[in-house]
Amino acid sequence: MAATTLNVDGVMLFEQPFARVPYENYRKVFRTSQKNIEKELGAIQTAASELARKARSGAANPEDALRSIDAMMKRAEGLKKKLNDLQTNSGAPTLQVIRERLQHLAAVEDIESVRSPEFARWADTRLDRWLIDWTLRHGREKTARRIAAQKGIGTLVDIELFSDIRRIEDALSRHSCTEALAWCSENKAALRKVKNPLEFELRLQEFIELTRARKLMDAITYQKKYLIQWQESQAVQINQASALLAYTPISAFGPYKRLYDLSRWQTLIQSFRVAIYNLSTLPTEPLLHLAMYAGLASLKLPACYNQETTNIDCPICDPDLGKLATEVPFSHHVNSTIVCRITGKIMDSDNFPMAFPEHGTVYSREALEDMASRNEGQVTCPRTKETCHFADLRKVYIS
Amino acid sequence: MDASLKELAKLEKLASNSSSSKGKSPCITDSLDSLIRSLRDTRESIQTGAANETTFSGLSQKVDSTKKDIDDRQKEIYNSLAKFGKALDKRFTTPLPSYQPLFSSPEAVAALERTIARHFLRTGQFETAETFISESGVNVDPTMRSHFLDLHRIVTALKAQDIAPALEWAACNRAFLESRSSPLEFHLHRSQYLRLLLSPHPSNVSEALNYAKTNFKLFYPRYAADINKLMNCMTYAPRLQLSPYADLASPALHYDLEPMFAKEFCANLGMSRQVPLRVVGDLGGGGALARIEKGRKVMRERKSEWSQADELPIEIPLLPENRYHSIFACPVSKEQSTDTNPPMMMSCGHVITKDSLQKLSKPGGRVKCPYCPNESQVSAALRMQF
Ligand SMILES: [Zn+2]
Ligand SMILES: [Zn+2]
Repeated sequence: MAATTLNVDGVMLFEQPFARVPYENYRKVFRTSQKNIEKELGAIQTAASELARKARSGAANPEDALRSIDAMMKRAEGLKKKLNDLQTNSGAPTLQVIRERLQHLAAVEDIESVRSPEFARWADTRLDRWLIDWTLRHGREKTARRIAAQKGIGTLVDIELFSDIRRIEDALSRHSCTEALAWCSENKAALRKVKNPLEFELRLQEFIELTRARKLMDAITYQKKYLIQWQESQAVQINQASALLAYTPISAFGPYKRLYDLSRWQTLIQSFRVAIYNLSTLPTEPLLHLAMYAGLASLKLPACYNQETTNIDCPICDPDLGKLATEVPFSHHVNSTIVCRITGKIMDSDNFPMAFPEHGTVYSREALEDMASRNEGQVTCPRTKETCHFADLRKVYIS
Repeated sequence: MDASLKELAKLEKLASNSSSSKGKSPCITDSLDSLIRSLRDTRESIQTGAANETTFSGLSQKVDSTKKDIDDRQKEIYNSLAKFGKALDKRFTTPLPSYQPLFSSPEAVAALERTIARHFLRTGQFETAETFISESGVNVDPTMRSHFLDLHRIVTALKAQDIAPALEWAACNRAFLESRSSPLEFHLHRSQYLRLLLSPHPSNVSEALNYAKTNFKLFYPRYAADINKLMNCMTYAPRLQLSPYADLASPALHYDLEPMFAKEFCANLGMSRQVPLRVVGDLGGGGALARIEKGRKVMRERKSEWSQADELPIEIPLLPENRYHSIFACPVSKEQSTDTNPPMMMSCGHVITKDSLQKLSKPGGRVKCPYCPNESQVSAALRMQF
């Protein structure tokens, strides 16, 4: 594959969450509709069969029957409105987001060359999407919103999801589990499926806070109501937690002291983040980081860290990117590539390398010929200032 | 993406919840409407006193059949959703790899924030840059900010076919441009001259001539041949496309000024010619990550730990414009040259690393080149500096 051919699989590797997040959102919308249908139609069913039973036993009176019919009608109309609103406000917009994203991805499947202007535009948008993902994950929501607005790519990014995450994380850092627990109950089935114990961890924290405040009766009630049901999978933790009834934060030691440790809130934020990323099929690392890891590693060379060989055009030679690149491996090369330090072009058998005879500095034939033509056949090395006649340069053979 | 889009279209139709959206079962609105009608009818018969046992058992059956219709419709939507999900599974077979947290130290975050802020400035997103700088508190050299404002102003003018600001900059930085043998200033004048010459009003030919007289003189020593060609264009104007100088009629001649200007402007400030974050992102997101993961997988399967943990196990193909440094791999040992094992040129012009040279040397300090019949003194080999 030529380096200019667009590697569609390599591009798509990054795009799974892009397509999946709105898909998961739509599944949520569907579940909500299902819940409404079961609740409302179930109630209507019960009422209707009750009415029929009464009529059979001759116990129906017209006023009661009318009241029952009116209640059923109200439910049926309410359900119809709810479902329509759900479709208009959530279902249809979510499907539209899915469509726009799939079309965005379909567009790149048709691009052949990375040099085409279509790809340049597509990659611009992709970088904007990655920057929005990064800024959202780092709490720079204003920047994210501004990029999205300026570039008109609101449907291609998940700002709402991330502001939800932030809202819940902010609550946790204020030591409130309520918001996170509400999220857990919305996603109960999915969390159970992946055996994620986040809900238990949150419940345990609320219990710990009750014992910290020495509200022991409340703590016992809470334990019975919310912790015991996890006995099967969390017996050790539950037993340890029970001991907190006996120990205050001051008298606690060992594992009990750790339970009282306020850093547990930080851990909860981490656990919540992992859980919601997991359920939303988002990678735990920002997409920008993953792309940069591979991009930096493709370019990184020892020469980037040597003052004498740095090149201002090289991304890794930039001090900041070079600093980031210390976290990635060096690139690997099997063949020689000699780049002219004057023209930046790769030398080959046409534009072959030529060396100054004294210091062995090498440049391309093109660069040296151009220099000679403007200086009556004299050439000067920009690095060593060595000067000689063009004819005295030595041709270099790189095999 | 075709398969996924096809499944999506089916789902959209089923979910749209209007009578026109055909499924095997009626749409939910229709089912509910029909139920509401039955309820209304029942209500009327109660009021007129016509309702009896059959009326109520009929209603109960109606409710049950409505429930069944709606359940069927929901099942259809559910199945369609599942099929769409499967189409996505098929398109996205490889999950993103999970890595240990990257770039998370305070120094790394600061470096990345500076990089992002500079990216916004460099790409002319000044408002976004302001927002980001105030939101993250990152420090950006204010002079750099004003440089980028300049760059943006000049490039915007170029886009609008106004070369004056670019020319002004080029004249101020003539010595720098000459030291880089940059044709920027000459190309700016060339663009202006050709525009005058090719403008739809023939009267401008004389204006073009005047322009050439005033502005090309300075460039004659270096661009004599080009200038002669440009003057010959007069003969063919305005139908330059059909002349031997058709290449000078190409619009690219004018568009190319923007990247050329940006490149020189950035070089003058000691900045790269490409947007660094784009280069790195395009590489990583254009197959490099996929290749790295594949290479690692192969290594794991072979159970062979890559001998150099600090180097990628595979080579990532790079475009020529992304080759910034010379790499010398010794044709004898296949090793990359280093400071302690530098490339050495024998008197025949062939280059091998110092270690290989030493290994090949014979008593008397002579070495026979492995690539040609030449034999020379090891001591005569010249260290190469690429
Ligand atoms: Zn470098
Ligand atoms: Zn030789």
